Amino acid sequence: MVQLRKRGLAAAVICSDSFVKLAQNQSRVFGVSDLPLVTIPHPLGGLTLDDVQKRADLAISQVLSLIQEQGK
Amino acid sequence: MSGLKDLLDAPGASVQAENDFEKINRLFLDRGWSDGLPIVPPTVQRVEEMLEYCDRPWREQIASIPPRYGAATPLRLAANAVMAGCRPQYFPLVILAIEALAEEPFNLYGVQVTTHSCAPLIIVNGPVARELGLNCGHGAFGPGTQANATIGRAVRLALVNIGGALPGLGDMATYGSPAKYTYCTAENEAANPWEPLHVERGFPSHASTITVVAAEGLHNVNDHESTTAEGMLKTLAGTVATTGVNNVNNRLSEPVIMFCPEHAATVAGGGYSKNDVKEYLYERARVPLGKFSDENRERRLRVTFPERFATAGPEALVPMCQSPQDFIVIVVGGAGKHSAVIPTFGNERSVTRALKRKDGEIANSVEEFRRRP
Repeated sequence: MVQLRKRGLAAAVICSDSFVKLAQNQSRVFGVSDLPLVTIPHPLGGLTLDDVQKRADLAISQVLSLIQEQGK
Repeated sequence: MSGLKDLLDAPGASVQAENDFEKINRLFLDRGWSDGLPIVPPTVQRVEEMLEYCDRPWREQIASIPPRYGAATPLRLAANAVMAGCRPQYFPLVILAIEALAEEPFNLYGVQVTTHSCAPLIIVNGPVARELGLNCGHGAFGPGTQANATIGRAVRLALVNIGGALPGLGDMATYGSPAKYTYCTAENEAANPWEPLHVERGFPSHASTITVVAAEGLHNVNDHESTTAEGMLKTLAGTVATTGVNNVNNRLSEPVIMFCPEHAATVAGGGYSKNDVKEYLYERARVPLGKFSDENRERRLRVTFPERFATAGPEALVPMCQSPQDFIVIVVGGAGKHSAVIPTFGNERSVTRALKRKDGEIANSVEEFRRRP
């Protein structure tokens, strides 16, 4: 993601909210502190398929916004 | 030695503090430069003394420690070794451990940030273990021995202070582990009926090595009754085989089987080589697929190991690693009939490195690293 972002492509990391601080730290470490984070509620493990679908829906709307923003 | 003061004049290379033990410890705690226990203040003099046992340039990058990818240099490592309470003679092993951790197969990024409770287990082999007084007998995992306690702690402090493995920020372990304070031992080679770990891995017996394994804590295996190798191995196999360990789900798993000397003697006395032990455990330390929850069976095991379990029934047996050679077998401890099994992270491979001089030759003593005036 970092490499894609550095090349100017629309890129984001999808992470659960418990891991946002780690993701922010890593973005800074790799020199892309503006790397978009697509956040979904924790956890990812131990979910029913319905719950996975809900998280996917949340992520997709954020990803679409990101792509639209990048296209402007 | 005059060079260190110049190096420390560089911006950010040092911190000024009042010469007061409590205040210095408060400063280090506030900045997150700590494991939570009091540290020995890394003064210029103490760091210089630590660097006496380093034959490399003090600012040479030895490793890059994730997740911060901070540069591990002798200078920085020496400060952490001082903080941990190391004697300067221990410093070559601290550097060697960091080099081993940084080797790619060890997956240090994964080990540092995982939610799993693993900590780098440091196993020392060879003459330097004896030279430094590493405890491989009673209480080999502590408390009470300075070398075991402080070498492991120095490594942990480097992982925190250079690597940024701060709880919830760069170390995402769900609950961590007491092994993250220190986790260092030596193999009891004198009581080992088999070849020691470093010899098994192709190093000469006179080499001193460090092996690092991303390991959980110890799980005791009590057997006061078995008088045969098969009896002892049956007890071990039953303890190794369990449903909730990472080793079940990951292809790189290397469970550690830590024999106490008495159990090792029973098994070796029955004619079992180390390889025989591994073969036995690989075949017998298994859990029937039907013992796993429906979700773990369908969503994890069938998917991760389709060649074994895609269509397997509940009687199919799930091993704890993918080949007999994946078991790491060592002998540690004093008298008593308690061995241990140590499950591992499973997303890394253990690494063994020999202590070598600058010229690439095997070092016979840590004194070979001492700077000559």
